Amino acid sequence: MAFGCSTAWSPNTTRAERARVIAVRFRRGAPRPETPCIVPLAEGATPPRALAPMLAAARFTGEAGAVVDLPGTLRWLVVGLGSAPDAAACEAAGAAAALAVGAAEELALSGAGLDPAAVASVAAGIALGAWTFDPYRSRDVPKRIRRVIVHADDPDAAEAAFAQVAPGIAGCLLARDLVAEPANHLTTRRFAERLEALTEDGIEVTIHGRKWLERHGFGALLAVGGGAADPPRLAVLRWRGDLPLPPVALVGKGLVFDTGGISIKPAAGMEAMRADMAGAAACAGAMLALARRRSPAPAVAVLAIAENATGAKSYRPGDIIRTASRRTVEVIDTDAEGRLVLADALHHAISAFRPRAVVDLATLTGSIVTALGHHRAGIFGTDAALMASAAAAGEAVGEPLWPMPIGPTHRAVLDSAIADLRQCAPAGSGAWGGRFLPDACHAAAFLREFVGATPWAHLDIAGVDTAEEAHALGPAGPTGFGARLLDRLVALRFEAEP
Amino acid sequence: MPDIAFVKPTLPRSGALVLPLAEEATLAGLAKQADEATGGAISRGLEAAKFKGRKGQSTTLWAPGAGLSKVVAVGLGKPADLAEAGAEAAGGALLGAVAKEREAVVAADGLAPGLAACLAMGAVLKSYRFDRYRTTEKEDDKPKIERIAVAVSDTAKAKAAFAPLQAVADGVFLTRDLVSEPPNVLTPTDCADRCKALTKLGVEVEILGPKEMKKLGFGALLGVAMGSAQEPRMVVMKWNGAPKGKKGKPLAFIGKGVTFDTGGISIKPAGGMEDMKWDMAGAGTVIGLMAALAGRKAKADVVGIVGLVENMPSGTAQRPGDVVTSASGQTIEVINTDAEGRLVLADVIHYCIETFDPRFMVDLATLTGAIIIALGHEHAGLFSNDDTLASRIEAAGRATGETAWRMPLGEAYDKQIKSDIADMKNVGGRPGGSITAAQFIQRFVQNKPWAHLDIAGTAWSSKDTATTPKGATAYGVRLLDRLVAEHYEG
Repeated sequence: MAFGCSTAWSPNTTRAERARVIAVRFRRGAPRPETPCIVPLAEGATPPRALAPMLAAARFTGEAGAVVDLPGTLRWLVVGLGSAPDAAACEAAGAAAALAVGAAEELALSGAGLDPAAVASVAAGIALGAWTFDPYRSRDVPKRIRRVIVHADDPDAAEAAFAQVAPGIAGCLLARDLVAEPANHLTTRRFAERLEALTEDGIEVTIHGRKWLERHGFGALLAVGGGAADPPRLAVLRWRGDLPLPPVALVGKGLVFDTGGISIKPAAGMEAMRADMAGAAACAGAMLALARRRSPAPAVAVLAIAENATGAKSYRPGDIIRTASRRTVEVIDTDAEGRLVLADALHHAISAFRPRAVVDLATLTGSIVTALGHHRAGIFGTDAALMASAAAAGEAVGEPLWPMPIGPTHRAVLDSAIADLRQCAPAGSGAWGGRFLPDACHAAAFLREFVGATPWAHLDIAGVDTAEEAHALGPAGPTGFGARLLDRLVALRFEAEP
Repeated sequence: MPDIAFVKPTLPRSGALVLPLAEEATLAGLAKQADEATGGAISRGLEAAKFKGRKGQSTTLWAPGAGLSKVVAVGLGKPADLAEAGAEAAGGALLGAVAKEREAVVAADGLAPGLAACLAMGAVLKSYRFDRYRTTEKEDDKPKIERIAVAVSDTAKAKAAFAPLQAVADGVFLTRDLVSEPPNVLTPTDCADRCKALTKLGVEVEILGPKEMKKLGFGALLGVAMGSAQEPRMVVMKWNGAPKGKKGKPLAFIGKGVTFDTGGISIKPAGGMEDMKWDMAGAGTVIGLMAALAGRKAKADVVGIVGLVENMPSGTAQRPGDVVTSASGQTIEVINTDAEGRLVLADVIHYCIETFDPRFMVDLATLTGAIIIALGHEHAGLFSNDDTLASRIEAAGRATGETAWRMPLGEAYDKQIKSDIADMKNVGGRPGGSITAAQFIQRFVQNKPWAHLDIAGTAWSSKDTATTPKGATAYGVRLLDRLVAEHYEG
């Protein structure tokens, strides 16, 4: 069986998208001479006899992530698994090897001496590390890895183990593909179409357009999307599962581009704002993973899709908008738009689906980047057990979180003189001459107002959605952060009846 | 600070009477006597004012009779929830209501002696005022309260419970004074001289100047001080309170004391720069903590060390690009002269380990603006390489209302302070700015148990809180006093 670990595709999907499939096949026997072969080795493991002298000369000890490239008639890439080759170490080793390979169309993986789960994890890491995004290159397109041939002691067992992890990989890569798309290509409409393609995998997709949003009073989403030529969308993805329980709800911020609106951002670095839909992309990726592995847990994703543009119809600082929950919000800064669209999406997720729990993901604040940098996302919430499960899921898949507080002072600054709430603290109102505001905490306090008693967690992923350099599980660029985490969270917490 | 006396419950014939009342409590004891003496005026007045005893609620009844000038009722909240913090908050609330009286009697005879002591503590803490530099304030505007008589059923027990609290309050006031002092008055030399006063409490105080520090190789600290006309100081304070036979390694507290921080050559924006007089709050806290521990004769050996410098731009100031050699021998590329606190701490921490080999170290510093962007003003940022120590600090913080929020450390963050030319650089960029500052400090702790409290967001308050007038909070004195009391005495 060939196992495509690809992004979802359908007749709607472009040829370029369909081409970006990595096929992983499992065989017995030795690799072909023209195919570079990855050899994972744990610390202290005996290397294949033919390679032992070269590895000794290169002082290779099996240290986690270390790669030794041995060119020759048959090119070997030996990669270290470290002293405790758990799933994370195997994935990181696979990714490191894939990143080191360079231009190649086919790779072999030698799984000799490894158990099937470890082989599957290395293969998964290769798929993550080999991800590239070239549809917009018109010449000199680098060769990319299209096939991985896994040579395992027990190919059937390895293939079965890979089938367990492949859905998460597919979800992560879908998220990366979506985040990488530039905003003139991934418009709000096009984003919705890409999501509709997930019906191929058994996900029910409903896209609500402007009229529906107006009829149902989604004032926040409409205000944020009002300045753009492309209208906002609310996408609802449902996976029915088979447990007779309410769904777990995933809510994502999907700003296909964020200029900041009337409170326009500085020009430097604004191109990165095409990734301001990474939360929604991660939720979509997680839904794909759940569907691909036929999770028993019912799940629903509610994705708020809009473009925050500057235009004659843009909303303004000082505007008061009525959210879908009927609560009014005073706009202070049109660049704090994420919390507004999430307010409507959270309200819809909770009022329409009465979920067991709701988890939202958003590239929400610069403040969280100052707080936690690029190595951890912030998690806020109202339910300690849910937050602990999310953190555990993150550790397991290499997407670490750190808990952050919502305190009374964070909520107090959201009191408005004129509406039910204001959206954020005014710029310049912070400490030390106004420069320092805990905006990530304020944003979380704002979102909490819209979740009521439903167990809720909020992941501010602004620092981790895109990597400036190659990282443990992939190249520079979109990381897909959150897709695998959410899939694992559902597996850990929502696939058994309480 | 008003005098606190614990007295038997007898009805005063004049002046102010304070009634701390829980929700749905009926008047009893002294309160009931007062109500009877006023012919029921108090119960009628409270009902008319819709006083329910809720937390934070306070009502004043003027001249209710029986010679009393006023009766102040303060809410204690639900009786089942009443704990130290609630009693303190009620104490803070009552202080405001009686500040203009010379004397007040508090009918705390319904409270356990420990809670009555907390109530008195709250009133004392709230009474803080820094008015040394007011010369024209009208007599009427000044607070008058000199004595608060707390009526309790068991005066001996309440007195015993309050004695250590009084010492802690003295430490808090000392810290608030130091932090409030303007930077032209509180120079490094002046601050060091004030530490000498602690000898009266039995603290050994040693002061090191630039010569001694040069001999010790304090290149990092001295580099920061280079631009200022004010000489730097390091003050070592030792409290040897552990009983004989229980001597061991001392506990160590280390404070950043930048008496004014202009940022140096990497000068700060003008807006809000006056706040930088409290960039010595870490040092101020350690000094107040030592006073508190010595004042209550804590049964522990504790050393407090503060590094005192002024960070100025001048012809002799340190430049971005300079490389300095710290006392540990590690070299530091100074990228930003406004990241000076960690340079001071690096040398002081190294000295502390080499000289005292402490059981653990806790450093306090108004270190980064990033911690305010991360957490705001509710919590200090807590970084630690020791989970036991960290969780003890978190617990002590919750108990004293000086909360600390754990923040992460890790190798990935440490990479951000790699230098191209030295062992490390002193800034790691905006992302995770407080974490990289902590990683920098961690490079000097030699894997000893260590915690770092970034108090940039908590050392100063722009608003009054339940027991703290706006201004210097002395955050950390009570937390660390509690940490020592709970785990390291006896």
